[in-house]
Amino acid sequence: MTYALLITAFVISTCGLVYELIAGTVASYLLGDSVTQFSTVIGVYLFSMGIGSFLSKYVGRNVILTFIQVELLVGAVGGCSAALLFLLFEHVGSFRILLYGIVGIIGILIGLEVPLLMRILKDRLEFKDLVSQVFTFDYVGALIASLLFPLVLVPYLGLIRAAFLFGLLNVLVALWTIHLLRSEVPWLKSLRSLAVVLAACLIGGFVFSEKLMAFAESSAFPDNVVFSTSTPYQRIVITGNSKDMRLFLNGNLQFSSRDEYRYHEALVHPALASLKEPQNVLVLGGGDGMAVREVLKYPSVRSVTLVDLDSEMTTLFKDQALLSRLNDHALSNPRVSVVNADAFSWIRQCRRQFDLVIADFPDPSTFSLGKLYSDRFYTALKHVLKPHGLVVVQSTSPYYAKNSFWCVVNTLNSAGFLTTPYHAYVPSFGDWGFVIASLSPFAPADRYPGGLRYVTADTVRQMLTFPTDMLPTVTAVNKLNNQALVHLFESEWGEYAETR
Amino acid sequence: MQRRVSRATLLKGLAGLAVGALSGKLYFDWQRSASQVSCRMLGPSMSRGHALRDGKASKMPDAPTENTAIVIVGGGIAGLSAGWWLKKRGFSDFVLLELEQQVGGNSSAGKNRFSAYPWGAHYVPVANKESEYVLALFEELGVIEGYDAAGNPIYNDLYLCHEPQERLFKDGSFQEGLVPHRGLQPEEKEELDRFFTLIQKLRSATGSDGRPAFAIPIELSSKDEDLIALDRISMAQWLNQNGFRTEPLLWYVNYCCRDDYGSAIEDVSAWAGIHYFAGRRGVAANAEQNSVVTWPEGNGFLVDKLKQQLDGHIKSGALVTAIAARDRRYITTYVESSTGRCLAAKSACVIFSAPRFLATHIVDGYEMTGHHELVYAPWLVANISLNRIPDARGAPLSWDNVDFRSRSLGYVVATHQTISARQGPTVITYYYPLSGENPAAARKRLLSTSADEWSKTIVDDLKRMHPGIAEEILSIDLWPWGHGMIRPSVGFIWGDTRRRMKADYGNVFFAHSDMSGISNFEEAQYQGVEAAKRALAALGAA
Repeated sequence: MTYALLITAFVISTCGLVYELIAGTVASYLLGDSVTQFSTVIGVYLFSMGIGSFLSKYVGRNVILTFIQVELLVGAVGGCSAALLFLLFEHVGSFRILLYGIVGIIGILIGLEVPLLMRILKDRLEFKDLVSQVFTFDYVGALIASLLFPLVLVPYLGLIRAAFLFGLLNVLVALWTIHLLRSEVPWLKSLRSLAVVLAACLIGGFVFSEKLMAFAESSAFPDNVVFSTSTPYQRIVITGNSKDMRLFLNGNLQFSSRDEYRYHEALVHPALASLKEPQNVLVLGGGDGMAVREVLKYPSVRSVTLVDLDSEMTTLFKDQALLSRLNDHALSNPRVSVVNADAFSWIRQCRRQFDLVIADFPDPSTFSLGKLYSDRFYTALKHVLKPHGLVVVQSTSPYYAKNSFWCVVNTLNSAGFLTTPYHAYVPSFGDWGFVIASLSPFAPADRYPGGLRYVTADTVRQMLTFPTDMLPTVTAVNKLNNQALVHLFESEWGEYAETR
Repeated sequence: MQRRVSRATLLKGLAGLAVGALSGKLYFDWQRSASQVSCRMLGPSMSRGHALRDGKASKMPDAPTENTAIVIVGGGIAGLSAGWWLKKRGFSDFVLLELEQQVGGNSSAGKNRFSAYPWGAHYVPVANKESEYVLALFEELGVIEGYDAAGNPIYNDLYLCHEPQERLFKDGSFQEGLVPHRGLQPEEKEELDRFFTLIQKLRSATGSDGRPAFAIPIELSSKDEDLIALDRISMAQWLNQNGFRTEPLLWYVNYCCRDDYGSAIEDVSAWAGIHYFAGRRGVAANAEQNSVVTWPEGNGFLVDKLKQQLDGHIKSGALVTAIAARDRRYITTYVESSTGRCLAAKSACVIFSAPRFLATHIVDGYEMTGHHELVYAPWLVANISLNRIPDARGAPLSWDNVDFRSRSLGYVVATHQTISARQGPTVITYYYPLSGENPAAARKRLLSTSADEWSKTIVDDLKRMHPGIAEEILSIDLWPWGHGMIRPSVGFIWGDTRRRMKADYGNVFFAHSDMSGISNFEEAQYQGVEAAKRALAALGAA
């Protein structure tokens, strides 16, 4: 009996530490900065244990009953902790209050348990043996937990399942304690049924954890999520507030409202201002309407055609007041027509010709996106371009991915274009690259529309020069059957992500 | 009261709950998959075909006879190519009779709201210099857009298979390419290297007659006795004689034989096995060696183009029951499936481009000893529509996706060649050759197993590569090919049976890839064009 109870001390401490590690890991996943997360979680946990120990003196008569109740409660709270943290992450105002709340509750409960257990055992052991044995089991349990967690639990079960499993362990210990001390426990039957129900719930959680996990979708965004939706093509998440709004597509930052003007001015004006009386502009990608907003600053432009795959994206930036304010309601402008179609197939069936084609696709991070940067795609663009028209291509960062950037330049050249590469500094992206492609030599403009905040004749001149660290070390042409750009892009950004 | 619930009861109760929860989940999953997935068994018109075999089909025409110079029987690639050649020569007095509602044979294709997809053959390697007919067709269809200064063809890169082409699921994750290369023992790696060096040598080898050792079409290969001798041992024996014994290499070669011949290395001749590797000498100005051209609908693309050219000449749904000689002309009797009427066509020549084993059933008086030696590999092809293809570990989704441990050949993605960032629903084509068992027994198993059972086998197989794929499946369509492909068994390609098969019967000119012993586009086309040439020559002489 005594050893049986000591083993419960062992299980309790293992479970306690596992919950703490789970909370720390979840917080690191979701909030980043693992040092801070683990320090604060451990601090709050230990401090709460202190509170629990302190509170234990207020437990008067029913020590055994309280002990069992606490065990059941630890099982319930601890078992569900990981699932709760993941599930509620996107829905609570302050995630930290939830995190430290859960850690605190578990800490207090674990803190209560050891003193209570010592009091249950006080008549069965001598004081020196009692202290020695309870703490021995306690600390051994901690070691087991700290080894189990990284080596077995995280790799094989995952956090949510591990939590459910240990919650179940807690409840089983409670059941066992009920059984051991059945002669001394009041409300035996209801405690047992409660424990069985809890166990069933935790088993359910364990079994269905995959579905919970999918539901929780643990993408971590640094700011408040204002809006999120999944379209057939991508996951759209908008974070922030009126000062800084950010758009993420599939977790990749597309713009920050603080500095997107730099990106979009640099994308549109060097090419468009150089054209004499441009009339028809085609924007490929760029469903946020920001590039269209810049195009509309030219009175000579009669029509802007925006071709974006995702109708939800264009509808959002047309109809949502918060978002359409960002593009000056460009998508509702009568000069603008929005087409939701595949860029390539649309171009192939297009019978019109444009003064300017803006290719504002996401970075070539996947093979399907890489095709929109292929020589075949650029060759097809020629058919929708007026003889003196221009193409401008957003072409990733010539600093972080210089070979990728120059690969776009080479590919445009191989498709028979003259190219003018340039780059601009966009704080939230870094140094960013663009390429103007033309069939006759390009000369930058002297005059730009009024009201621009970044592009001037002087800044454009600077944009055209490339320092040595942005020059390529390999040259390749991106073709459908080699996808050279995606391979380069992957290796270059991968390298950068590793060194960070 | 308190003793009523014993510990044992409690534990049993808990175990019961656990079992309940688990089976509940399984039941839930099963319900989900059962309710959403529609499984259909499609396939060639077997009952009508078998009516022929059993002598039940009518042979008495009940309508007046139509006249034409040439009747082409069978609208697979061989028959279509025969027609293509006739047209190319400015000859248009011919009619093509096809049993099915659609021409295409092994290159048939289907289409649903997500994509077009193949029901069989789904690619053609870039053509060898000697594959003149393939080059001519490719130029005509814009598959080849021009030639560079060195004379190498420039292929339309919309059709060249896009990157990434192939990946192999082995040891729990995907690696790029189909040749195993990850975590090999030094001797395994050495064997692979040695194999490819040897193949390289054989690829450029010529026989004592100055012809390439392995040509496409095979008819143009060297008849050098040393090379022909390779046809008299199996691929497995040849590998063994050359000291190839490690698993990765044997797996790879066996995979390739099953892929191209539907048969394992023990069942195909070494000549055929080597031909798969050494025969491909195609070059393209804008692609690497071993590149292939492919389309969402597979070779159905080529079928469609050929069909357009033969507009007005094709009669589909026509079951040819007999071909008989009368007064130096041929009467081809056929049943029109739409009306059930039995009709006849009178012609000076017949190009018989249906599977070769049918000839003795249909052509009056024609006997061919050894036609029982023709062995056909049965196949199952499944087209599976999915919401999406679940992510898997390792190399990214490719055109061809293969599982090292599977008995299937894996799957190809129909939407691989589309240029789009769309990640919507797609169709994958899953290939399962019933190799390694007796063909007749395999054919029986193929046809007696229900659509639901096959679907379950397929989904279980795919689950290894993609856990969670079951939830994404929208529908599964199955196509059993009882006589999927001729098998180049030991001694078949350069043996007597094939030599006899090539002989025409009066003015009945035979054309089918069966006569090459290898079932692929190039061979079928070659046989079709050659038969058309012989028919034209016969007409010219007449």
